[in-house]
Amino acid sequence: MIAVPRTWRGPKSVGSSLVVLAAWLCGGVLLTFILLPLIQLFAVQTTGTLLQVAREADVRDALMLSVTAAVLTALVAGLFGVPFAYFLARAEFIGKSAVAAVVDVPLTVPHTVAGIALLMVFGRHGVIGGPAEDFLGLRFWGTLAGIVVAMLFVSLPYTVNAARIAFEGVDPRLEMVARTLGMGPWRVLARITVPLAWRGIATGLTLTFARSISEFGAVVILVYYPMTAPVQIYEMFLRYGLEEASAAAALLLVISLALFILFRHVAYGRGPVVGGGR
Amino acid sequence: MTALAVAGLSLRLGAFALDDVSFTLPANDVMVVLGSNGAGKSVLLETIAGFHRPARGRIAINERDVTTLPAEKRRVGFVVQNFGLFPHLTVAQNVALGARAQRRARAGSPPVDIAALLRRFGIADLADASPLVLSPGEKQRAALARAEASHPDLFLLDEPFAALDAPARSQLRVELARFLRELRLPALFVTHDYVDVAALGDHLALMHAGRIIQCGAVDDVFRRPVSRTAADILGFENRLVGRVVSHDRRLAQVAVEGKFLRIATESAVPAAGEVIVAIRAENVRLLRPDAAPTNAADNRLIGAVVALEPLGALTKVALDCGFRLIACLMSRDVAALGLVSGAAVAADIAAPDAHLVVP
Amino acid sequence: MKQPIRSILLLAVLAAMAAGSAGARAAEPTTLSVFAAGTLAVPFKQVDQLFEKKFPDIAVQPQFGGSVKMARQITDLHQDADILAVADYNVIPKYLFGGDGKTAYADWYVGFVRNAITFVYTDKSKFANAITASNWYSVLARKGVEIGRSNPDTDPSGYQTVQMLSLAEKYYSSPGLAEKVLANAPLANMRDTETSLISALQLGQIDYLAIYRSDALQHHLKLLNLPAKINLSDPTYASFYAEGVAHTKNGDLTGKPIVYAITIVATSAKKAVAEKYVAFLLGPEGRKVMSDNGFGTFAPAYAMNPAKMPPALWPLVKPWPAS
Repeated sequence: MIAVPRTWRGPKSVGSSLVVLAAWLCGGVLLTFILLPLIQLFAVQTTGTLLQVAREADVRDALMLSVTAAVLTALVAGLFGVPFAYFLARAEFIGKSAVAAVVDVPLTVPHTVAGIALLMVFGRHGVIGGPAEDFLGLRFWGTLAGIVVAMLFVSLPYTVNAARIAFEGVDPRLEMVARTLGMGPWRVLARITVPLAWRGIATGLTLTFARSISEFGAVVILVYYPMTAPVQIYEMFLRYGLEEASAAAALLLVISLALFILFRHVAYGRGPVVGGGR
Repeated sequence: MTALAVAGLSLRLGAFALDDVSFTLPANDVMVVLGSNGAGKSVLLETIAGFHRPARGRIAINERDVTTLPAEKRRVGFVVQNFGLFPHLTVAQNVALGARAQRRARAGSPPVDIAALLRRFGIADLADASPLVLSPGEKQRAALARAEASHPDLFLLDEPFAALDAPARSQLRVELARFLRELRLPALFVTHDYVDVAALGDHLALMHAGRIIQCGAVDDVFRRPVSRTAADILGFENRLVGRVVSHDRRLAQVAVEGKFLRIATESAVPAAGEVIVAIRAENVRLLRPDAAPTNAADNRLIGAVVALEPLGALTKVALDCGFRLIACLMSRDVAALGLVSGAAVAADIAAPDAHLVVP
Repeated sequence: MKQPIRSILLLAVLAAMAAGSAGARAAEPTTLSVFAAGTLAVPFKQVDQLFEKKFPDIAVQPQFGGSVKMARQITDLHQDADILAVADYNVIPKYLFGGDGKTAYADWYVGFVRNAITFVYTDKSKFANAITASNWYSVLARKGVEIGRSNPDTDPSGYQTVQMLSLAEKYYSSPGLAEKVLANAPLANMRDTETSLISALQLGQIDYLAIYRSDALQHHLKLLNLPAKINLSDPTYASFYAEGVAHTKNGDLTGKPIVYAITIVATSAKKAVAEKYVAFLLGPEGRKVMSDNGFGTFAPAYAMNPAKMPPALWPLVKPWPAS
């Protein structure tokens, strides 16, 4: 792939340097806004507390559980959300904007309310939970499945939206050409459409993972034990106080950050890619 | 063997429609489909390629009925606007995709030598290049190589150079004509620009509002539009409304705004009613008003220049000789004649160059 | 000329809003920040309404949550609170009295209402028709019964439930009773406070919930009338209660009567206003609201370290009984 390294991918001339400057300034303000609380969080840590907290089996278990559940959530979101996003990108039908809006609704529901609504459906007497327990022996109350369900509800819109936009950016005529070359519809999706849409899909999955790992309100209605990291941090706050709780929070942040960087590197490759489908 | 036979193709697709489209394309020939935007040319191509299901009609490629076959089984090569190269693959990978896919579809066919194919199309040194850095000419060659790698029975080209500037179009047009001749492949080429016709086509079909309104050899259709719409599509600048005054087997006299024009006729001439006289601008010869008759002297009209439209080497001259007439000359001839707005001028039109259209 | 008219209208609206808020600011009442345990939410909201009617220039801003959480919000997060009311009087000395180099946020408290720990249920609950105040411990131990409770490591009602069950073992001479009942209350059924589980009970996810008697009455749930000797409701049984034990991550906690306590936070800037509130709560109007909501009241209330209290409140309290 030929990458074109530049510092500014827009028109550069007299006058537009003000625009560039304004953009950098806004970026600076935003980054400060994000980084200042985080730096503060890390600055108050002592290595002693950090190590002590890291040694606690409860903390390690909670971190492990959160990462596992968030990865599973991202996988499920990808499995169902990406094909649905492709459908939304290509199909035309009455009520399409309503359907697209429904996908965004979970973002507006208060987390506790979402948790209770999910409990109604996936609980012991729920329309899905009841049969699941009776016929499949699958419980959502107090299990990894329950955690994934709660995480999925609040984070699925990110995958669907990002993937949909990415698919809309792939020229359907490219898919047509691929078909005439002899590729069946599934092969076209796999070799042409998804690779061209990949950056958007990967962004969506990353956001889903990130949103999942930090979810508390909806998860805690369905699952308190086993404890995810946010629940564990909260319990530590109650039992020990701010110092230990924030140490566990700092650990969670470091792990999440490392996973993001790893994923970006794996998913996006090196350098910027110019163009995308036209 | 008939390369492509389309019979009674009809469908409706939102604002676009195909209305009982029928034509045949003999083996190794190129047919240009000419029509204005919205005529349904792309829909026709896409239907033949297999992306729309017709409500009625049949399609046969190389005498094989493909009407119910999915697109990947029809063995067509499809070249779209901007050539449709896959931007995430190199040129060689693009071409290889064509070969591999077709080999899967037709088990037992021999492997395609990609390197040889690239050499044949003159893009061997671009094998590892990204499509994003290619010139339009290189893109066309790559797209053709890729389509050829899949061994199609028919090429479909949908205005591939519509978005390019004039010099690029000229160059690509010439190259494409050469490739099609060398590959000896039948092709259907869709365009809205009639300049593409002469360079590329053996046959010409005119399309308007989902219907084929005229179809035949390029020369025939080009000189003898059957209707006003056809004349529009073919770019006849002069479409004069008149009435037939008298006619014999060879000539007809048509009255246009009080002036009389003599027109060569080949077919039956209506005695009454309105007719249209279609004359191409380049067939209107301009001379000094007092010049001696030329061999185009079947018709001589006297008038005055109304406007000049310089177009580089050519200039379009609009004149008023009782009715509006448009001529197209070399710009140096315009200067030599001293044509300016208001200048008196004579226009000579040969009878065979004026074509009678019954509306 | 649409553009100028639109701008004028917009300016007019903004000016009106500014005037409105300025007007409101002119008559701004004093705010009183009250942090209280979740089980006090319903009665305290009623108390606040009556209090604000009596003192129109005071606006009460309550915040409810787990007792320990509210305490930590004061000590660790340094949030401004004028009053803290908790479900277990031990929370105040444990977290707010300071010592060991920690800042002291309070040095006295008043036990003002009693509660009882019990199990609540609905008519959807398993064996709802069969359970009584005498057979409850065997019904709750039956297979398939789901019991919810709060986390004993972080919440008073959590460890009080465990203490009550260990007292029940002695009371009914039934060794292993606690273990059998708790087997139906696994970790999956636990939450950080018991009030989070009320929706789970109402949805039928759990059949029985260990919670306070006052919550049962407030949420119109069926409840078991457990013997006073085990349900931690009567301070006169304090020595028997001390035989009940809960093993938690914070150590072994022995049973104490459930007495809710209230204090004025030392860092409050509105101590005079806070005194009015506490006086109201301890007085006849406050006591009536609390008992209407299912709490047992003390008249007068019990004070720990009365000498450190504001003198205005002395007539309303008597010293904490030694136990």
